[in-house]
Amino acid sequence: MSKLNASDIQGFSLRGYNMPFARYLFLRLTHAERARTLLTRLLPLVTTGQLWDRKPESTINLAFTQRGLAALELPLATLISFPPEFQLGMKARGSILGDVGRNSSEHWDKIWHDGHVHVWLAINSLTQDVLHSRFAEMQALLEETRGAELLGFQDAAAIKLDGKFCTKEHFGYTDGFGNPDYLGICRDTQPGQGKLMKDGTWAPLATGELLLGYADEAGELPVAPVPHLLAANGTFMVYRKIHQNVGTFREFLNKWGERYGAGDDHAKEKLASKFIGRWRDGTPAELSPDREDPEIVADPDRNVNFMFGNDGAGTRCPLGSHVRRVNPRDAFGFEGRLVHRRRISRRGLPYGPPAPPENEPADARELDATDRGIVFMALNANLARQFEFVQQQWISYGNDAHLGNEKDILIGCHGEGERFGIQGDTSAANPPFFCTGLPNFTELRGGDYFFLPSITALGMLAMNLVDPR
Amino acid sequence: MPSRNGSVYGLTLLCPILNDPAAVPSHDLQIRDHLATLSRGADSMFALAPGTHLARLVVLDDVVYVGAPACEEHLKSKYLVFESNCDGDRDSYLTGLAKAIPGELDTIWKHCAGYPPGGANDLARFLAYMKKCEIETTFFFAPVNNKTVTETLVALRNKHAIAHFIAQHQGVKPAQVRASILALRDKLNAAPDPKPAAVHVERTMDTGGRNE
Repeated sequence: MSKLNASDIQGFSLRGYNMPFARYLFLRLTHAERARTLLTRLLPLVTTGQLWDRKPESTINLAFTQRGLAALELPLATLISFPPEFQLGMKARGSILGDVGRNSSEHWDKIWHDGHVHVWLAINSLTQDVLHSRFAEMQALLEETRGAELLGFQDAAAIKLDGKFCTKEHFGYTDGFGNPDYLGICRDTQPGQGKLMKDGTWAPLATGELLLGYADEAGELPVAPVPHLLAANGTFMVYRKIHQNVGTFREFLNKWGERYGAGDDHAKEKLASKFIGRWRDGTPAELSPDREDPEIVADPDRNVNFMFGNDGAGTRCPLGSHVRRVNPRDAFGFEGRLVHRRRISRRGLPYGPPAPPENEPADARELDATDRGIVFMALNANLARQFEFVQQQWISYGNDAHLGNEKDILIGCHGEGERFGIQGDTSAANPPFFCTGLPNFTELRGGDYFFLPSITALGMLAMNLVDPR
Repeated sequence: MPSRNGSVYGLTLLCPILNDPAAVPSHDLQIRDHLATLSRGADSMFALAPGTHLARLVVLDDVVYVGAPACEEHLKSKYLVFESNCDGDRDSYLTGLAKAIPGELDTIWKHCAGYPPGGANDLARFLAYMKKCEIETTFFFAPVNNKTVTETLVALRNKHAIAHFIAQHQGVKPAQVRASILALRDKLNAAPDPKPAAVHVERTMDTGGRNE
């Protein structure tokens, strides 16, 4: 396969921009013709996947819900050719995703209640000033073209630690360790990020696991709308605003940390590492179960390069830990081949004010009540096979990992009587352990499924050229 | 050995469904209609009768032509497919079914060609009929290991009880743990065997295979 035409693919599809600020605008298209005028004006501003000689100060990207595409008056034959889960939208898929109880849509932010979100317009930027000026530019475009109503926006920003932006989220975990490598996407393959070959080397996943119009891991074209030109070089995006109950998390970690191992600060940190499968500094528990190791964290050849096959009992990295759930690698045997069609690319940033340091006294309920969390975005070619499968079978259920009904401790939507089991061994520092009475550490506050089209497809939408015949 | 995996027997029956143009609705639809009403809980016919790990009843209309290069073929009849992973051997298992749920069996199988008029109560003919319909089984439901249904149910109950016990006794003094676990052992030993499908976990989300 030759190199992809990166200038036809939205940059957001191909890579995380690694910019500290973002504002996600949510638009409602009220008039198809004027909306197309708006798209025409936005088209030259959209950031493509072309490599940068010099990093820009900001980026612009666009994606559409099914209702957004309908509001653009796409032909019915095209609209009904989108995969059913995209047509239904994320709210309607709640019973599959486990978005029930406190995560169900009646508890979401108001903006998601009426199905009026048609467009996600993302501004990423290096500074606040640039963010504000790009936002003003977008507002002016909206006013000038009257092409869309701005329903609201979501700000997100990397957390600053010691004056520098970092990749930590509000619970204190270092996040954002790489994404799968895909064939043709210009990047050096990082060991641990694609698929493990028989000779021990790593190869990128098939392009069709991320982008429409290319062969996927089964050698088939992903399910995609017609015409082909509308779909090719596009992808599907999941947007989930996940509130984090920081006070609940800290209380829980303190309470159970005192009972775990020696009950000291190290034991507490080790317990935190068992929840995720990484120490909070990012060290993979599988590679270093007993202590943080900044050298591993800093080493791209090692920080995602580990397997679970030799840890079948989960004594290093628990069977139910987050990283093992969402990417079980070879945990289910078959040299890891069972996961190749369940991978997703993640984007995202924290939102809301950073919580005060853990050693400062703070009211837990107040910490919970503060509007902070993470904007989680996932990209994949097939929402049902990739994101929804991971969310349904591996986050909200435990059967594949031989954990029955157990859910992911931090992002599972827990009911009464649920527990988190930590497999251990005979050493005092690594005891088997159960945490019981799981609270909801996170709560879903909204989101939807979006189609992130290619540059060509954006042009077709803008120029009303979509013809399924 | 085909149809057997350790102590578990894999039973597959293909029973031709009556093809009577005068029957309205047709016999296959009558079976479908009835199967749709069957309970999957503790009052399931397979929970009432002994020895079933997993059973499945399917109406097989025909084989589906999937396009070239496959050749188009058709079955001579519609079939009722009965698959079961069960304890013991075919005849002892079927005898158990015939004794425990003869009426339920007859309600379904009366739509099949050649089913004895006396139904499951005519045990010799019932067994002979089922044997004639049997085809070799080589794939088994993976989670069924070399344990009987009752052994499996007891093991599951004990696992749950012990996991709950551990979670409740973390940090408790050893002597107290010892006393408590002996009490738990006695309680579990004295408890009656759990009944099939008696434990039902209410899930808050859909976990079926529709999304795969």
